[in-house]
Amino acid sequence: MENELREKAKELLESGEVAVVIGYGFNRKKTRITPVFITKPEETDKLVFNELCVNNLSIYLTRKYRDIQKIGRPAIVAKGCDIKNIVVLITEGQTKREDIHILGVTCSGVVYKQELFKGELKPEIMPSKCHNCDVRNPHVADTVIGEKSDFTPPEEPTGMVFDKIKEIDAMSDSARWDFWNEHFNRCIKCYACRQLCSLCYCERCITEKNMPQWIETSAHPRGNLAWNLIRAMHLAGRCTFCGECERGCPVNIPLNLVNQKLVLTVKNAFGFESGIDENVHPPMIVFSEDDNENFIK
Amino acid sequence: MSNIYIPDLVTIEDIYEETPDIRSFRLVFKDEKLRESFEFKTGQFGLYSAFGLGESTFCIASSPTRKGYIQCTYRKTGRVTNALGELSIGDTMGFRGPYGNHFPIEEWKGKNIVFIAGGIALPPVRSVIWNILDRREDFGDVTIVYGAKTVEDLVYKEELKHWDERPDVKLIQTVDPGGETPEWQGEVGFVPTVLEEAKVPAENTIAVVCGPPIMIKFCLNALGTLGFSDDAVYTTLENKMKCGVGKCGRCNVGDIYICKEGPVYTATEIKAMFDDF
Amino acid sequence: MTDKYISKDGLNGLIASVKASGGRFVAPVLDTRQVVYKEVSSAEEIVDDYILPRNSYKEIAFPQTEILAKYELTRDGVTIDPVEIVARDTVVFGARPCEAASLASLNSVFTWDFIDETFTKRQEKVVVLSLGCVDADDECFCTTVNLSPASTEGSDVALYETENGYIVTPLTDKGTAFVSAHSDSFTDVAKGEEKKELVNPEKVEGVDLTKLGERLAKSPNYDNPEWAELTRKCCGCGACTYSCPTCHCFDIIDEGTAFEGERRKNWDACQFNHFTLHASGHNPRDTQYKRYRNRFMCKFHIYPTKFNSTGCVGCGRCIRVCPVRLDITDLMTAMSS
Repeated sequence: MENELREKAKELLESGEVAVVIGYGFNRKKTRITPVFITKPEETDKLVFNELCVNNLSIYLTRKYRDIQKIGRPAIVAKGCDIKNIVVLITEGQTKREDIHILGVTCSGVVYKQELFKGELKPEIMPSKCHNCDVRNPHVADTVIGEKSDFTPPEEPTGMVFDKIKEIDAMSDSARWDFWNEHFNRCIKCYACRQLCSLCYCERCITEKNMPQWIETSAHPRGNLAWNLIRAMHLAGRCTFCGECERGCPVNIPLNLVNQKLVLTVKNAFGFESGIDENVHPPMIVFSEDDNENFIK
Repeated sequence: MSNIYIPDLVTIEDIYEETPDIRSFRLVFKDEKLRESFEFKTGQFGLYSAFGLGESTFCIASSPTRKGYIQCTYRKTGRVTNALGELSIGDTMGFRGPYGNHFPIEEWKGKNIVFIAGGIALPPVRSVIWNILDRREDFGDVTIVYGAKTVEDLVYKEELKHWDERPDVKLIQTVDPGGETPEWQGEVGFVPTVLEEAKVPAENTIAVVCGPPIMIKFCLNALGTLGFSDDAVYTTLENKMKCGVGKCGRCNVGDIYICKEGPVYTATEIKAMFDDF
Repeated sequence: MTDKYISKDGLNGLIASVKASGGRFVAPVLDTRQVVYKEVSSAEEIVDDYILPRNSYKEIAFPQTEILAKYELTRDGVTIDPVEIVARDTVVFGARPCEAASLASLNSVFTWDFIDETFTKRQEKVVVLSLGCVDADDECFCTTVNLSPASTEGSDVALYETENGYIVTPLTDKGTAFVSAHSDSFTDVAKGEEKKELVNPEKVEGVDLTKLGERLAKSPNYDNPEWAELTRKCCGCGACTYSCPTCHCFDIIDEGTAFEGERRKNWDACQFNHFTLHASGHNPRDTQYKRYRNRFMCKFHIYPTKFNSTGCVGCGRCIRVCPVRLDITDLMTAMSS
């Protein structure tokens, strides 16, 4: 599979169809996977794909990375879940389908965090998204690399995130409040969640806007709650549950719970799942006469 | 004071509307002892508080030769400056400073001075101008080249008139092409061009330049053409600052902290700096 | 003072003794699946199988957010009340020898001319008990920056693990005073008590701090396109700076209503776009590589030459925490050539 990937990348660079291949490579010690940007055909053997390739590289397609855009047309190595984000970027007008070459890779799951990998991808070190994955075969791609996966996701979503959501839904309001405050209180406002999210592409985030100051920037409980809730709201109907925010969080805030809860809410209310079809706009940015209005009381 | 980040309270004694978006304040310390003891040097800056919104950095635009008050001039662009724009005479704000280094004016005695400023950059130069005019006999010829985008954008209009009328000051005013009005008597053209055309003699002369980075760059070239050595050219830089005292890590250009080692530099020093501003 | 001994069980006595004298005992504990420095009340909470806690203990002297002053706006004017700096005696147990050097580095910035007492008053009350490392991971690189598990710079008391306890070596006056003040908790070292072997992390090949410093000091290297290439993947979050024991940048902001509020000093990070953004819209560090370059310059040029102190202690936190695995030692290698 890696050979196939390297050959294709080489071909794309040699033909000049793309100027850069955004992919995965090893770090110096060959212990961890890190994003690599290949611009020369002879360097494509640096590309790898394995169960450690957890990063969602679609962040590098956003306008925050002008220097990458300056290199030229990119090809991007993307798992099905990463492609979902690219699809949202297309529906929101952040990139055009024809402006990128998607090197879709078939995937049999990745680790939740690279540090957990001890030579074998056990189900317990995989994130919930992998256990319920419906895009192990890339759904939108220019080239599909790897053998077709015959995995079918379970009827009812399973995994830690879904169990925990049920648990939290059953809590009393005050218990739920305490649960979230306890987690958000650890927030150090490093904004790794935002920076790792390809859908947080605003060049000036609401937390940086100070006329007026919408969110208190201090890492005290009030400011932390405001930040985390506002970010969640800004992702409603857009988040694809790629899990990068939670993976990047240095203080282990269970952000997947917030985001998946919103995914479920939007699915129930609008029957919409983000990241599936690049021609369908997300429900929060379109008006439809069929929209459910039972929230107006 | 045990906490270096706590400002002193100052009262706004007077307000001057310079242009539609530029204002000056004349400020006096609430504390009478401080009013007496407060000292600063030309070129230094301070942090001005609008309570509830934060602090902003401006130079002290008045001259230390005029005691008992400080003056500052700012453009309403951000959160704090907009809030300061809402204040009236008699209102209270915060001030801490003075911070930074200063122009070595005492070393300039007996020399000619040429001032070059663009737009909102006249305030730091104004402190030097008054410092020198208040002891006029100690210095040689004084030339001021001041320009702005339009006539409306010129600050200190009353003072410009005064300097223009003084026989011991040569004032050249200019506005960018298109910025003139039918009544405009001054030059039309960019500051560096006007400066070069003015043919200010470089001999025994110190130049003080202040303005946006692009203007400084071209003025340094123009001064070079006129024969000024880089050591005789002074400027004052600005960068975003939060502490003013070399701690918060924002204003550094390479390894130079503008708030502590600056904001006043010679052209020689500027040219040796890392390209980070 | 000669070496002393304290058993792992005996730590409970020490914790009680510190608490009884009004102090805090901070040690590595497990919190939400990670090891962090936190105040403890019993020895059982302390973990002993860890490389480094996630957070740096700099936050004891330089908290993430603190109130500098409270202000009030009334019809009669403005009042501003500075908040008294509360400094409690604090013991940091199990600090790693690499990061022990960090408070001295921060001190060099916070006392440069103007003295920031919000930091110094708290730092004075911190006693650092560093614990020699008996394990290292792939990210540790203290030996590359001329430190090691045996370093004592910044430690008040050095601890060395034995089978059931620790050999205690007071290093500074503060450390000696601490051991004397809680002498009941320590015993003499029994015969045959042996220190576990310290483990040195492997030195990163190709790093030459002298060459690195010389290269950074030269202005033409500043705009080398290599910077942009090496840091292209940086996502611009503040995880590295907020974990780093020597990062000192902060913001001063007002929070409150139109009538009353607080002026706060908050951590800030040079990795953020708006950190240096002028109100005019101009930004001297307008791309990520310039921001990363600033952080790197700060560690390997500004700290060593301007503040004459250690900029990077090689703790490896920034590598461990980096969500895109940007490895500072890769840049150190590249910039050494």
